Amino acid sequence: MKQTMQKVRNIGISAHIDSGKTTLTERFLYLTKKIHRIHEVRGKDGVGATMDSMELEKERGITIASAATYCQWKDHEINIIDTPGHVDFTIEVERALRVLDGAILVLCSVGGVQSQSITVDQQMKRYKVPCIAFINKCDRSGADPFRVIDQLREKLNHNAVAVQIPIGLEADLEGIIDLIAMKAVYFDGEFGDDIRIENIPDALLDTAMEKREELVDAASMFSDELTEAVIEEAEIPQDLLISAIRTGTIAQQLTPVVMGSAYKNKGIQLVLDAANHFLPSPLEVDNEALNLDENEAPVHLSGRKEDPLVALAFKLEDGQFGQLTYIRVYQGELKKGDSCINVRTGKKIKVGRIVRMHSDQMEEVDRIEAGYIGALFGVDCVSGDTFTTSGLNVSMTSMHIPEPVISLAIKAKDNASETSMAKALNRFTKEDPTFQTFISKETGETIISGMGELHLDVYIERMKREYKADIITGEPSVAYRETITAVTPFDYTHKKQTGGSGQYGRIAGIMEPVADAEFVFENKITGGAIPTQYIPACEKGFVSCLAKGPWMEYPVTGVKITINDGAAHSVDSSEMAFQATARGAFLQAYFKAQPVLQEPIMKVVIETPAEFQGNVMGSLNQRRGIIIGSHDVGQITTIEAQVPLSEMFGYSTTLRSMTQGKAQFTMEFSTYKQVPKSILETLEKKNEKKTKTGT
Amino acid sequence: MLKNQLILKDPLSFLGYDTDDADKKGRFGAVTSRAGVGKTAFLVQIAISCLLKDKNVLHISVQDPVDKVNLWYSELFLSLTQANDRKQSKQLWDQLLTRRFIMTFETESFDFSKLTARIEELRTQNIFTPQIIVLDGLAIENAIPSDLHALKNFALENHFTVWFSIRTHRHQADDPVTLLKQLDTDSEAPLFDMVIQLLPLKDQIQVKRLALDNQDNSTPSLLIDPATMMIKESTDK
Repeated sequence: MKQTMQKVRNIGISAHIDSGKTTLTERFLYLTKKIHRIHEVRGKDGVGATMDSMELEKERGITIASAATYCQWKDHEINIIDTPGHVDFTIEVERALRVLDGAILVLCSVGGVQSQSITVDQQMKRYKVPCIAFINKCDRSGADPFRVIDQLREKLNHNAVAVQIPIGLEADLEGIIDLIAMKAVYFDGEFGDDIRIENIPDALLDTAMEKREELVDAASMFSDELTEAVIEEAEIPQDLLISAIRTGTIAQQLTPVVMGSAYKNKGIQLVLDAANHFLPSPLEVDNEALNLDENEAPVHLSGRKEDPLVALAFKLEDGQFGQLTYIRVYQGELKKGDSCINVRTGKKIKVGRIVRMHSDQMEEVDRIEAGYIGALFGVDCVSGDTFTTSGLNVSMTSMHIPEPVISLAIKAKDNASETSMAKALNRFTKEDPTFQTFISKETGETIISGMGELHLDVYIERMKREYKADIITGEPSVAYRETITAVTPFDYTHKKQTGGSGQYGRIAGIMEPVADAEFVFENKITGGAIPTQYIPACEKGFVSCLAKGPWMEYPVTGVKITINDGAAHSVDSSEMAFQATARGAFLQAYFKAQPVLQEPIMKVVIETPAEFQGNVMGSLNQRRGIIIGSHDVGQITTIEAQVPLSEMFGYSTTLRSMTQGKAQFTMEFSTYKQVPKSILETLEKKNEKKTKTGT
Repeated sequence: MLKNQLILKDPLSFLGYDTDDADKKGRFGAVTSRAGVGKTAFLVQIAISCLLKDKNVLHISVQDPVDKVNLWYSELFLSLTQANDRKQSKQLWDQLLTRRFIMTFETESFDFSKLTARIEELRTQNIFTPQIIVLDGLAIENAIPSDLHALKNFALENHFTVWFSIRTHRHQADDPVTLLKQLDTDSEAPLFDMVIQLLPLKDQIQVKRLALDNQDNSTPSLLIDPATMMIKESTDK
């Protein structure tokens, strides 16, 4: 088993948009005999590349959703996750990176390290994914792979070293020199299938020797045996050199660089070889889960097939046969007919059909073992769910799902769009727990809410594209909330006598602020001042006031109500009367309790080239941001700040134009803070206007 | 109210420093000890006192990431205010945050010219104007004296004080002043104006103010609790 696992690779292909990663994947699938024809991304045959299974991707020639596919190269099994290259789709990228053990960073030999490459590189570093670099498009005019290697070193801080050099460049690209075997490799046949190995052409021998020396030098840092061989000037066995490069790569201290042209079918087999040689197997990667019995303390996963099951659902797709759940098994094995537990819901599920995905075609299998990626049919779950053997209470992702902080009203233009929109929303909410939807009781509009403007934009765009739903969107609104700041006693009597049976109730008590809770209700009534059967009605009455605050109509949180006295009437008191009394008592106390408005504050982390850091910090200051700090690593500065969400609308565009697209930011909810007076006045005016117009 | 109460706990005034004097522009202070005794915690307490006095603090760390430095501040502030009203403390903490800026560097990428360029940029763009700089984790023995003198001149021109954490080794532990004097050059004024030494005792840490040339010879000291790193009591004042 261990033997087999060592030959498994779960890899991603990350790159700048249009650097050719989908074409590269297509070639991988062709060469590993998973497909029998090559369809170009923007090919004349109109079929599109196999990995681009979504319509939008086919149309634009880009890849949005990651599709997992499985293939075999030589004696290794490779699972490829085709990751999106566009910056706005980071949710997809990050989810894909989580399940990867290694990655191929594709760079264009003409464009080099572009802003997008910086983004994906930073993401890989964040998730500690070891990578190799493939410099594509060496057949293009202006190709210069050595310049790209320099950029990898300077701009991305990679210890990049060429393991190959090209034979000719631009239109003269003939083949590749393998610096490990010191042989020239040519790719003959229509799709470069026939490999011809020859001696290095004389004209390139000196360059090859020089570059090999650089390679050996860099690799010797990771192997004493290799260093000794170098000192003794002994012949260096290929295996020793490969093993040293592999050690450096897995430790993320060395980036071996391969090169070629995916479009011209040159060098692709060597990229697959490099993935086998240098990228880690699942056994070489430390995976951790969170122990839910011990406050989410990390637990190491063994990766052994014999141990209890731990698997992560990392992507859901709606296929023609229902929901397809992409899954990675980290420990144990998932067998057809077995049962396991969905840790989030605690429900037992029966494993039905298991498949291995090849883009949108599939291959049925009996089991998925630790280290492998596959897909399940008919499993009710959401993305990020963990499946375990009964009794093992661990989760691959944190169970704390942040509350959405921004919402937007959406409306379908026609009936057909409405159906599509409902379908889309159903799928998206399952895929992403931070994306929520509900119908507003007041306006009847569908409201979507999520973690940021961009987050909602991505889903609106997907509804339009994938589901052909014609959607009108409203203005985004921030989830403000009201809370109180002072302790206030109340004593309210509700008396109504308008014919028929009357209504009577009296409630007295204290309203006070409470931290870390939305609402706390405490009953301190003694001697039956309010009969026990009416106490739940009192609580219900208070709770009904929370959804829409009496002041600004935002939800009220952080309130504790203690009731300690009251009165009832034997005929006129009822549950309804006490609910009304509670509402009256709430209103009586609320304004005396000095209500304040709070706004969501986001933790914003920006990674920018150091030369723009002053401008970026300035832009955060302008947005009422508090800069917590900055961290310098090489040429990149990471700035951490706390900024009100209401000030972050449109920030991605501002940041891009300010930094020539070279900076990226992530944003997550941090806390709620009181709205400053100046902003409060504006909000109050807006609110008044809204009340007047009745919208 | 709470603020005034906390200002009274200023470790520098416990050590007999006239705090206005300590904050004079262009001054260099050093907190010295062997590794792991509590230099960072003590420096952060000095920084919190400055924040409470409405001074802008730039904390530069050449060893810890931003999150860790932030944690030092929040933990020590929490210990400092644990007997006070939680809500009031939180409000005060939010106010203090606006006056603090953390800047961290990887050891390899740190150099003085980069540091002064960064500070200059923060100042000229009106992003942050430091009045106190805390420079933690720098291996002073590897610093070039001319760089330190340039920083001192820069501090003088820009009206700020710099507090350094200085790690001493076994053989230097008893005499950090001599170590610091080695960095002085003949042509310029002495670099350091204030030196504080942390000495681990049996179950507490002694904080001693060390005398420099032409200064008073009294060396007040105080004790800190190694569990909380908070001042226990003042002695010899």
